[in-house]
Amino acid sequence: MDIQSAVLGRLAGWVAPADEADWDALYAEQLPRVYNFFRYRVGDGPEAEDLTSVTFEKAWRARHRYRRDLAAFSTWLLTIARNVAIDHYRRARVQVPLEEAEGVSAGASPEDLAVRRSDCERLSRLLGGLPAQKRELLALKYGAGMTNRAIARLTGLSESNVGTLLHRTIQELRADW
Amino acid sequence: MDDRFLNELRREPDPGFARELHERLRRQGPAVAPVRAWRPLQLAAPLAGGLAVALVILSFTFPAVRASAQAFLDLFRVRNFAAVSVDPARLERLKDQKLDLESLLTDRVETPAQRPAPRVVASPQAAAALAGFAVRVPAERPAGFAPDTIAVVEGATMSFRVNTAPLREALEKLDIRDLQVPAGLDGQTVTVSTSPAVAQRFVRDGQHVEFIQARSPEVSLPAGTDLERLGEIGLRIAGLDPGEARRFARSIDWHGTLVVAVPLNASSFTEASVRGARGLLVSFKEGAGADPHGHRRPGTLLLWSEGDMVYALTGNLHGLLLVQMAESIR
Repeated sequence: MDIQSAVLGRLAGWVAPADEADWDALYAEQLPRVYNFFRYRVGDGPEAEDLTSVTFEKAWRARHRYRRDLAAFSTWLLTIARNVAIDHYRRARVQVPLEEAEGVSAGASPEDLAVRRSDCERLSRLLGGLPAQKRELLALKYGAGMTNRAIARLTGLSESNVGTLLHRTIQELRADW
Repeated sequence: MDDRFLNELRREPDPGFARELHERLRRQGPAVAPVRAWRPLQLAAPLAGGLAVALVILSFTFPAVRASAQAFLDLFRVRNFAAVSVDPARLERLKDQKLDLESLLTDRVETPAQRPAPRVVASPQAAAALAGFAVRVPAERPAGFAPDTIAVVEGATMSFRVNTAPLREALEKLDIRDLQVPAGLDGQTVTVSTSPAVAQRFVRDGQHVEFIQARSPEVSLPAGTDLERLGEIGLRIAGLDPGEARRFARSIDWHGTLVVAVPLNASSFTEASVRGARGLLVSFKEGAGADPHGHRRPGTLLLWSEGDMVYALTGNLHGLLLVQMAESIR
């Protein structure tokens, strides 16, 4: 076996060309992924747009730190998005008393019931009842369109663990669908 | 399993929103961001005032690169890093063959009778006062990570008199007959001096990061030591075939490069650019890394150097986050 492939070849990125990232193209490609990540993560209201904006603005300010040898741009961007979501929920916990939050979640008014007739609303409601970790995994899988392997790399879970958690969660949701 | 219903929530972003955000970003700076240019791995940078002794042999004495402060202190000898995959099972087999990998170049190591325990301090400033150098701190941490503990480990000096008999015996046992141990080493003294090191720990629910910094150690070796040959021998003992070992040994500067043994099939490694320096990022899967207590868990280790300082960041986080932390140290 040649040493280049045995050892040095594994040093990913060291022979990558010294080119530049086309941020406009990346923006067009990644905006739907980040936006849908937040739709699944926090809901389909205006918050998804707000948090998407926050994510891209953070990424934009830190764009000189992105290294293509360490992670795909989408992984890097979704790392930022995950942290934005965590910050969002931390603020939300402070601002919204639990009772109010539960009231919103229950949403038993006739108007709410009417809105929920759409599949979109049904899914939003189901996602809203999930624990944070399961909801995040679904957001990464179905919102951001990531593979289980990419999710594993991003979250630190094993790939098999990601698969198992997703499988169970989908089964739970199907039962309530 | 039918999961099509889970796509119900996907929507294209509103074009107005997409356009407005894009324009807002453009107003904040140029649309095209520079990406650091990558050159071929640069391994040559002689270590001023010091030479690592039988680096590869010493580094291979550890069954795995341990993501811990202790491993950092034990292993760090130089300013540049290279990684090589090794088969832990082979190293275990060598032990079974009564090969003491920790004593291939000596039969007696003189170390201080008792190494003081790390001293916990209240602040980076207090650590700097004890360590004798300006202590740097990551200005940015992943969300939720809070400072936990700062500790200072005293420096130490270890010396040993070279005895190549165990190494020759190892070559014989392994039937490696095409390499000869360099002559003139027996009886010479090697001294390794390490500076104090400062370890800062940051924690978040179930996650941790340790940031370790120290001055580069100084290693005094007999003049003219053929480190390339010793390195090649070490690589062969570790399991590389003759061609691989020869090429690898010739490709790096043994005066300034620490060869890190990365367990095969349990870890991966990559070069990482950190603050303009070339570092090494090692990711351990479950069971590959071991802390000083023998606990095995997945994790990531980032090693780099700057000036006369060496740094390590280690934790159970994605490597990208460690690099981002490393970039922010002040």
